Amino acid sequence: MGEVKEKKASKPDETSEEGIPGVITTTTSAISDLLKKTKVQDLINWGRKNSLWFMTQPMGCCGVEMIAMGCAHYDTDRFGIIPRNSPRQADVMLISGYVTKKYLPALKRLWEQMPSPKWVMCIGDCSISGGPFYESYSTVQNIDEIFPIDVFVPGCPPRPEAMLQGFVELQEKIKAKKDLGSEY
Amino acid sequence: MDVAEILKSLTDAFPEAISEATAESEIRAGSYVDKDKVKKVCQYLKDSLQFDHLCSVCGVDYIKRNELEVVYHIASYNHPVVLTLKARLPRENPEIESIVSVYWNANWYERETYELFGILFENHPNLKSLVLPEDMLGEWPLRKDYEGFPNKTARNLV
Repeated sequence: MGEVKEKKASKPDETSEEGIPGVITTTTSAISDLLKKTKVQDLINWGRKNSLWFMTQPMGCCGVEMIAMGCAHYDTDRFGIIPRNSPRQADVMLISGYVTKKYLPALKRLWEQMPSPKWVMCIGDCSISGGPFYESYSTVQNIDEIFPIDVFVPGCPPRPEAMLQGFVELQEKIKAKKDLGSEY
Repeated sequence: MDVAEILKSLTDAFPEAISEATAESEIRAGSYVDKDKVKKVCQYLKDSLQFDHLCSVCGVDYIKRNELEVVYHIASYNHPVVLTLKARLPRENPEIESIVSVYWNANWYERETYELFGILFENHPNLKSLVLPEDMLGEWPLRKDYEGFPNKTARNLV
């Protein structure tokens, strides 16, 4: 148990064998660091990938497709993908439109309000490259330098099936431990 | 009221302020106005000529003539004529009187013209940026010599 810290006794240079037997203290980060090296992480990732709740934060016309994806017709609930209204309950943020210089601080704030582990997907050409507004005076370019983006879904706007496939790709990345949202 | 009648009334009332008054068709009229008299002209248009609907206020940058123009489109609910009123401003220090006290809906139009062209509207009740972030004030992005366009192409497509 390499990362687990022994309880500090009177002498700080005590080895673990000399501590109080049966009493150890640890931190949650130490536990999660330990679990990342074991098979338990596979089980945790299986749970995470089947409950990807996304934040309903539409930013452009792709946001309409995003809402359509979350509704009953495409039924993302069968993959465990549920729209949530609060960033504090969400796992996935969808950037679904061009990001202006005025909106970027608010978007960063939403991203910081989401609890970890969290993922972010780029929906549509506007958020990937700027789209028709790529050279505008108020558009932020290269959004992937600001957020750790796992999946890009191109389209103008992409169909709800394409977004759904993007979610499935994200699930595959999480299952393979290749996603950027959690550190391994 | 038809176009000729309106233009004659306007030119007679302000013989010095109104110039190049032309009737483009039966429903479109255009004229230049002196920038110091724009509020009085608008008041006269509203009170006497039934121009009670301000459609838009916008700006144009003529960089070769070293001039900015403010363009007002004013229409009426009673007759079909739309008047295009233009005012020439120097490019170095563009200032013009606000017409919010005549047409109240000029408020946001003038704020947007201010943030995009840097045209100062005197006596405007709340002259600050409308859509752009506050720290972009002073860049005036719709002027022809604006240099601040982003130049990083998207790496994901190249």
